[in-house]
Amino acid sequence: MILNGTFTFNGPRQKVWDLLQDPDVLAKALPGTERLTLSGPDRYEGVMKVSVGPMTAAKFDVTVALGDKQPPERFTMQIDGKGAVGFARGTASVALQDQADGGTAMEYTSDVQIGGRIASVGQRLIESVSRMMMRQALESLDRELRSRLESDASRS
Amino acid sequence: MKPAPFEYFRPRSVEEAIELLAEHGPDAKPLAGGQSLIPAMNFRLASPAVLVDLNEAAGLSNVTAQADGLHIGGMTRHRTLERSETVARAAPLVTAAMPFVAHAAIRTRGTLGGSLAHADPAAELPAVMLALDAVFTVQSRQGSRKVRAADFFTGLFTTTLQAGELLTDVAIPRTPPHAAYAFQEIARRHGDYALAGVAAAVAVDERGRCTSARVALLSVSDRPVLAEHASRALEGEQPTEEAIRAAAAAAAAHDIDPPGDIHASSAYRRHLAAVLMRSVLERAFIDAGRPFRAA
Repeated sequence: MILNGTFTFNGPRQKVWDLLQDPDVLAKALPGTERLTLSGPDRYEGVMKVSVGPMTAAKFDVTVALGDKQPPERFTMQIDGKGAVGFARGTASVALQDQADGGTAMEYTSDVQIGGRIASVGQRLIESVSRMMMRQALESLDRELRSRLESDASRS
Repeated sequence: MKPAPFEYFRPRSVEEAIELLAEHGPDAKPLAGGQSLIPAMNFRLASPAVLVDLNEAAGLSNVTAQADGLHIGGMTRHRTLERSETVARAAPLVTAAMPFVAHAAIRTRGTLGGSLAHADPAAELPAVMLALDAVFTVQSRQGSRKVRAADFFTGLFTTTLQAGELLTDVAIPRTPPHAAYAFQEIARRHGDYALAGVAAAVAVDERGRCTSARVALLSVSDRPVLAEHASRALEGEQPTEEAIRAAAAAAAAHDIDPPGDIHASSAYRRHLAAVLMRSVLERAFIDAGRPFRAA
């Protein structure tokens, strides 16, 4: 499955970059993340639980490796998830760009293969679920960004 | 495949069912026809700790034409809807859509309330209820509330129903004069999940001008979608072939952003939606015009 899109953050690029490199922030933003820790340089490990309405599609052990880092501009991710009901494996890349209004545009492309029982039962839902999770994650990151900017402003 | 262990209750009344749902909260799921919930449990994609079986709860499957419209109980089987003359007279769009709802065996067990509460984006009845501007009655221990179909579906398998709530009644408003309906969908095999589908309810005035056009699409988003651009393009206008074509094109371009899967790409679904909207709207407006032309 290929999932591409753009999202505009309401904050400067360096702040967005810092946000995207913080496992604690990502753990809170990614829907269903029960744990996400830095297990090595640019390497994350964690547990995610994907659920859709009443369906609880079990747990996935996830590892994410970051590569091609050009702060604060672009990076790629190697994603590997395994669970009792299937697997997800793929790559994603993220590019950040300054906007005229002080915001930051993020362009993301990803190509993820999903297999196992989850794919045979839920094939027709995978893209909708992925889009939903992506939207929730980005909106949550943007909220975190705004609250950081506000606390910076109140300190200075 | 076998489901995870669960506790099972079979209440005899709506009140008893609501008490049980309130008592067990988010751990409990109401069981209607079981045509989606039971397979999900067998695949272990859902594992509710408590099932409240509604099949013996009295008074949930009445179909009655009342002053404010047609009322259908939440536990009414698809098969009943398909064959009911009351439904055919008061809500012909429902009758038109029923043969597309899964297969005969599933229709024998499946229920209206179950389909709406499950909110599968590929299901026919949520889109039909959206086109008909139906109002759902939701009951819980706190009392009852009414929700319009347009406010009910909030995402993939997700509605405004909360734990402890039960969808007990569906009310379809009375049809205006010179109204007509059409339903169509495309599936690789009849009864499969549709690649795209359209339900339309239209009405015209004495001069044949469109007074209302509600077009709902299925299988093109994470929920049923109302084609607002189609309504806007048609209402107040003569529903000519060109007007219908333009309305369908506008709705396909602006009202939807379909997901792709191995069966159909996003672009193909968008194309299908436009073709189906055109075909369904043409059929509906021809039917709506007939009484006017004969008079």
